[in-house]
Amino acid sequence: MNDLLLALIQAALILGLAPLVTGIIRKVKALLQSRRGPPVLQPYYDLRKLFRKSSVISSDASWITSVTPFVCMIAMMVAALLVPVFITASFGSLGDLIVVVYLFATARFFMALAALDAGSTFGGMGSSREMMISAIIEPAILLSIFSAALIAGTTDLAGISQVLVLGGTDLLRPTLFLAFAAFFIATLAENARIPFDNPATHLELTMIHEAMLLEYSGKQLALMEMASMTKLMLCITIAWSAFFPFGMATELSPLPVAVGLIAFLVKLLLFALAIALIESSMAKMRLFRLPNLLTGSFILAFLAVMSFYIL
Amino acid sequence: MNPKLMSEIVASMPDEIAKGIQKTGLREGGVWMTVDRDLLPKIAGHIHNSWGAALVSMHAVDNRFITSDFKLCVVLALKGQDDFVTLVASVDAKDPVFPSLTSEIFCANWYEREIHDMFGLRAKGHPDLRPLVLYDDWPEAAFPLRKDFPVDAKVPRVPRPYVFREVEGEGIFVVPVGPVHAGVIEPGHFRFSVAGEPIIDLEIRLGYAHKGIEKLSERLDYAKGVHLAERISGDNGFAHSLAYCQAIEALSSVSVPDRARYLRCVFAELERVHTHLGDVGGIALDTAFTIGAQHAFILRERMMDVNDLLTGSRFLRGVNCIGGVRKDIDEEGRSKLIERLVMVKLDYQEFYDDVTSTPSVMDRLETTGVLSCEAASDLNIVGPAGRASGVDRDVRRDHPYAGYRNLSFKVPVLRQGDVNARFQVKSEEIMESISIIEQAISNIPEGELRARVPVPAPGKTAMSLVESPRGELVHWIVAGDGSPFRHKIRDASFHNWRAMEVAVLGDIVPDFPLVNKSFGLSYAGNDL
Repeated sequence: MNDLLLALIQAALILGLAPLVTGIIRKVKALLQSRRGPPVLQPYYDLRKLFRKSSVISSDASWITSVTPFVCMIAMMVAALLVPVFITASFGSLGDLIVVVYLFATARFFMALAALDAGSTFGGMGSSREMMISAIIEPAILLSIFSAALIAGTTDLAGISQVLVLGGTDLLRPTLFLAFAAFFIATLAENARIPFDNPATHLELTMIHEAMLLEYSGKQLALMEMASMTKLMLCITIAWSAFFPFGMATELSPLPVAVGLIAFLVKLLLFALAIALIESSMAKMRLFRLPNLLTGSFILAFLAVMSFYIL
Repeated sequence: MNPKLMSEIVASMPDEIAKGIQKTGLREGGVWMTVDRDLLPKIAGHIHNSWGAALVSMHAVDNRFITSDFKLCVVLALKGQDDFVTLVASVDAKDPVFPSLTSEIFCANWYEREIHDMFGLRAKGHPDLRPLVLYDDWPEAAFPLRKDFPVDAKVPRVPRPYVFREVEGEGIFVVPVGPVHAGVIEPGHFRFSVAGEPIIDLEIRLGYAHKGIEKLSERLDYAKGVHLAERISGDNGFAHSLAYCQAIEALSSVSVPDRARYLRCVFAELERVHTHLGDVGGIALDTAFTIGAQHAFILRERMMDVNDLLTGSRFLRGVNCIGGVRKDIDEEGRSKLIERLVMVKLDYQEFYDDVTSTPSVMDRLETTGVLSCEAASDLNIVGPAGRASGVDRDVRRDHPYAGYRNLSFKVPVLRQGDVNARFQVKSEEIMESISIIEQAISNIPEGELRARVPVPAPGKTAMSLVESPRGELVHWIVAGDGSPFRHKIRDASFHNWRAMEVAVLGDIVPDFPLVNKSFGLSYAGNDL
């Protein structure tokens, strides 16, 4: 019962803070470009605005288009229940890390279908590119998470973080660093960030993720946007809690929980800053060079697993 | 032009072609030859191919109410000389057909389509006479530039299917884009045939921004025409109004005061600097290198700010007038301008180093959107895009106007023809432009700002070429009664749009916006 309550609180935290992270990344990018930029809370305002609007649906679209925003959002909400945030507890009986990865895959599958659904050209291009990229990141994500699971001896996320926190610096092995690096690259790809995709572009021909959302408007768009912001937040949370959960509370008492919360917020900020810096300092890669970088991520994850057995 | 050259040109033609020349004469704008309609392609082709001449413009004039025929003019610029050959052929009003030049001069293609649209003169043997500038539902027998077509005519909407090129094959998809785009850009329809991501074919359909500028100009008096010219193509307004003013000044045989000539150079180069800064910033932006892009946009804003300071207009509107300029640059403006230029020069160097030392950006720019030197010269690509593909032409140097004869500058020419080459050419041109402004502003002669210009006598013809930021543009005017009888405008983009259909072949779809930006073309200037 306690676990469920904690999972619910942590999921609420993830959902509630997700737009803030996107807002912080946008703000930092704007400042780096010598712009003032929109307020940090702008994503919340945008969502509120979109939720008040009605949706326009293409007359060629089938039920897939109407169902997809809910599928995406629900997948992210369920995933949020499985990820520990500030305390090493989650609704683990519902599923483990592998379930999280496949919840992402479910959302992506429906998103790609919905993009094809209305028959628009950009949607089709977006789907095909997204599928090309996801075919390569999925193994990289799984493999990098496996290496953390190998160390902890469990695939339950809360279990992994518990083992790592209790084990302390003894368990700080090269495996974790390699796996974290692989997961970081995969996170950028999974969330359509530069150098994989440009979240700020208006050029339909270059889009990957955004091209799949072009047909959406109003409430449906709000759900899709919320789902992608939550996904970014989830990836960041998983990156810290699966590889470097240090600072996380292991018991339910005020001091550790406070430390856990602060550690989480600091890590969140660090990750957001890193994304903003990367997005500002490099260009988007050519589409057909993306597999090279993703393969790099896969190799890092592979090395992480190997190093676990060798070292 | 010396008469010897003219006779050499005529003498070099084989007899069966030369017999088509009915009359030759020297005028201020070079040689005029009245030629037989049926031999026009051969004669134009001979001068184009044997004398290395470039096609500057090709257009028609509706002379039916004066000499009861249409006149067809082909203007060629001789290579390496400040001279033009204008061929004039008469096309019978009852039989509005002429032999197509496209087989002799490749880049005559769009000109002939335009003539077909606007005058209803049919180019016999033309490979593709689909409408070029008129809307899809424009009725077939309404020709807007004919004199008996009233400027305020309401035409019925008659749907006319436009047949696009079709590429067939397994796995070939058509990706239609536009004319309405997601960004704040002008309308244009791009139809890609793709095999996966690689582009097999691109067809560009323009004309959505057609607003009848040439027709409108025919009823505006000359002074108002300057304002119209400024609005032909937003960021090249000064270049257009300069070409218009120079043409009217030539019609009235008035020479502009020296101070005004120098000031025109200063303003024309200011326009080039801010347009190029926008282009290079756009290139950086389209690779998602936003920090670099914003850097360039800040510099562009600073240059437009200095425009505002000097003239009261960020886009240099209202500066040109017939006979000279309206705005002077005083001592204070001069020192501010020089100070700003030094600052922009240093900052630009920083931007340039930023971009060229970021491998991920250079990887996007290099080998993308290659326009081969052969294609560039066949399509007669002008301006920086041409110079990045080995076309060594610059109106400022080859046909000097305003004060350019007395200013020294380099014309950068590269041969790679990719996005990077266009970026490099524009970068160098920004530096050259700053140097031109510095030279002009420190050697500026004292004197009047404008000369009095009498209204040109009807019937006279004049032409003016200007190197706009996008390349060579032409205004060709026949004087009428208080306003132009015929005003032909050709923007640099009219030549350069076709380069894009060639340059993107073999690239992948997501690279298209970058290639497009590197050409930086105007839709409004093309559609008129």
